[in-house]
Amino acid sequence: MIETLIFWALCLGFAASFVVQVWRRLRLVARAPGRLGFDRPALRVRRFLRDVVFQSRTIAGRPLAGFAHALVFWGFVAFAGYSSTEFLYGLGLADLRRTPFFEAYAVALVPFATACLVGILYLLVRRVFARPAGLGDHVSMESVVIAIFIAALMITFLLRFGLADGSVAGRVNWWTHMLVILAFLALIPASKHLHLVLSPFTVLLKSPVLGTVPNLDFEKEEVGTETLKDLSRKQVLDAFTCVECGRCQDNCPAFGSGKVLNPKKLILDSQDALLEGALDRRVVEVYDEGVLWQCTTCGACESQCPVGIEHLPLIIGARRGLVSNGEAPDYLGNVYNQLERRGNIWGLTYEARQKFIESAGLEIFDAAKHEYLVWLGCAGAFEADFQKALRALFDILRACGVRFGVLARERCTGDVAKRSGNEYMFQELATQNIEDFRASGVTKILTSCPHCLKTIGDDYRRFGFDADVVHSSVLVAEITRGLEPNVATVEPVTFHDPCYLGRYAGHVDEPRELLERFGGSVREPDRTRTNPFCCGAGGGLLFEEKEEGTRISDVRFKQLQATGAGTVVTACPFCSIMLKGAQASAQADTEFVDLMAFVNGRLQKAADPSAGAPSASAGAAPPAAP
Amino acid sequence: MKIAVCVKQVVSREWQLRVDESNTWIRDQDASYELNEPDAYALEEALRLKERHGGEVVVCSAGPARVSQVVREALARGADRALLVEDDRLVGADAFATASALAAALKDERCDLVLTGLQSDDSGFAQTGVVLAETLGLPHATIIMEVQVADGALRVKRELEGGWFQWIAMPMPAVLTIQSGINQLRYATLKGIMAAKKKDVKKVAAPDLAPQHEIVRLYFPEKAKATRLIDGAPADAAKELVRLLRDEARVIS
Ligand code: SF4
Ligand code: SF4
Repeated sequence: MIETLIFWALCLGFAASFVVQVWRRLRLVARAPGRLGFDRPALRVRRFLRDVVFQSRTIAGRPLAGFAHALVFWGFVAFAGYSSTEFLYGLGLADLRRTPFFEAYAVALVPFATACLVGILYLLVRRVFARPAGLGDHVSMESVVIAIFIAALMITFLLRFGLADGSVAGRVNWWTHMLVILAFLALIPASKHLHLVLSPFTVLLKSPVLGTVPNLDFEKEEVGTETLKDLSRKQVLDAFTCVECGRCQDNCPAFGSGKVLNPKKLILDSQDALLEGALDRRVVEVYDEGVLWQCTTCGACESQCPVGIEHLPLIIGARRGLVSNGEAPDYLGNVYNQLERRGNIWGLTYEARQKFIESAGLEIFDAAKHEYLVWLGCAGAFEADFQKALRALFDILRACGVRFGVLARERCTGDVAKRSGNEYMFQELATQNIEDFRASGVTKILTSCPHCLKTIGDDYRRFGFDADVVHSSVLVAEITRGLEPNVATVEPVTFHDPCYLGRYAGHVDEPRELLERFGGSVREPDRTRTNPFCCGAGGGLLFEEKEEGTRISDVRFKQLQATGAGTVVTACPFCSIMLKGAQASAQADTEFVDLMAFVNGRLQKAADPSAGAPSASAGAAPPAAP
Repeated sequence: MKIAVCVKQVVSREWQLRVDESNTWIRDQDASYELNEPDAYALEEALRLKERHGGEVVVCSAGPARVSQVVREALARGADRALLVEDDRLVGADAFATASALAAALKDERCDLVLTGLQSDDSGFAQTGVVLAETLGLPHATIIMEVQVADGALRVKRELEGGWFQWIAMPMPAVLTIQSGINQLRYATLKGIMAAKKKDVKKVAAPDLAPQHEIVRLYFPEKAKATRLIDGAPADAAKELVRLLRDEARVIS
């Protein structure tokens, strides 16, 4: 009797402490603006099963630690019914422990408990002795305590089979088990272990598309995140969910090249400031100086985070608040003026685009005549190297009988404006382009630029524009499937996945299929496929000349060089610009070739029997004459 | 300090120029327009002076109804209010007519400083600022690279030919014509654009406009291909060629 009363008192006390601490955080979530999204529920539920129930994202990035975590997680889930039953018994409400079903359940838990124990001991050793960089400089004592608690839970559970229920040892064991659970309850809310409670929700609430940054509503005078109180509901929830695993940090190209930006710290800084109640603090005072402008929007952090935290809306939201107040860095202010006056990122007049259209023999898009509208983009209009790649694409399309045209007039899609936080400029450009698209009657758009792919294919959807948008690598892989290129040599190449193609759009197989089919043997660099290391151009950083630390492009170029392949194949005009810059400063003789030029070079050879002789540099074939 | 900035709306560089039927003006019905670039630098200089010395920036423009676009743009960038002389007769007006329209708007404003761009990207007379100064009875300086204000007086840096510069001390109020590229232009912010909607744009009636010149003909440079064959002995022909190149074509000296 007295035991039951004591247990009641303890339970109420610990539960109250839990509720008070959680309430403090949830109140901040509740008062934050913005709605929690739940569009495309089927996709979200599937992702929930994959990332929460099966722990696949946790395991994918770090197989060993991830699997150990999965063992602990599954152990916890398996124990839910057991612990509840013990609580009911302890509180004197019901004793279901003597039922045969419960006994069978307890026996079934033994393998779970053993696995969980192994998992947590591994994690403990890793944290205390191996100490991976992503976890921070010092050993978190709280994590050690939690690990010991979990181990104690499992040990006390296993001991129960050896100890008589009514014996003193049995009672002590029971009490230890229950007290540890209660202590756990008190520790969770103020620690990273709050993710136990919140992460199922953050994973469900994470936008289905990587890097989703909702449009600002100018009618409602939204200008972006100026102070902490402008953080959206999901962003506040995210701040309390971070499990401090450091996967975002490990994969961030800015952090990895010696810059101050650390996506993990960004989340934790938000958390600290929120808990301090500093809702009126401006974002530049919350985060370290300059970090908001160091992000390339590569998406690595957001896509690697195991608990569904979205860094991009946070970073871009804060950029918006600064841009709206005239606090963008000078190099971006310059780009904004170019966009405003000339409609493109380089501030050039569109005569050059007109000349290219004429010399490449392009037709103006006519919905009755053409299947595809080829979107040239800023690089297609002005950048000589990318124009070569586009000429190769046009050759392939013509060879395969695809009918296509281009718009008489284009403006920048607004990618740089969107990603760097100039929402007004983005919406101006987007609405005008969409007007032109609609007037042209287009239903299928083809682009060779992954940034245009993301902007037209995803961001424009929010304006109700839903034409199919496809990247050249995907379409060309499809239309050339029947062709048998006559390739005599196999050339080792390496492929640099553009972030906006591999990570954002998931197109990692099509470029490789093309390369393999057209005589390339692909050597994978470090950081590849859906988790590539950025080239450094995104988010407006193409225009930043004073990069802190090592240049991101230099780091990436070294990784590509290390494959030993003499040819780097790219599929994005901006990756190409950045990496060629890195190659020039490294004075390396690596060859660069756009994927389309690579394919076209081999196709031309196949079509022209006189050029059948093997050639080592076939991949760098010059563009066909216009 | 009260600073007025005069801005002009010019045909956008993107727009394909065409001459109208009268051969005295362009076919501007379907043209796109933008802020005259040198005026953008004048506006930026005014905003920077205001940031340094306090006061007010008043933007002033003269032209048909469509010029309100560049006025809005200036307000979005930070000008405090606008004066607009709206009159269709100002389309293609000469510097004298434009200056008298601007003067009508500015005469009662008692500005400390009036800035204009050095010249316009369309007709490029570089006269509006100078004539405006005379009309307002103010001193002026042209091709300004830097402006310093201290104790109610001005020190300005002028660009001369051949890479030379000159510092001039002058009294205020004054009119300055600003050279392009002297500062880094700010961009229009969302907050600025929102605030611009609420700023005051005062319409001022145009005075009697008395143009002082008339455009007689407007035309694209005529491409003439004139091939001339020089006869004679090679030595004489070569001499004649040199003479022609020097005296007629003037490509050598
Ligand atoms: S998007 Fe890329 S660059 Fe930006 S914080 Fe995340 S990982 Fe770092
Ligand atoms: S934000 Fe996500 S990936 Fe980064 S430390 Fe926190 S939980 Fe880990």
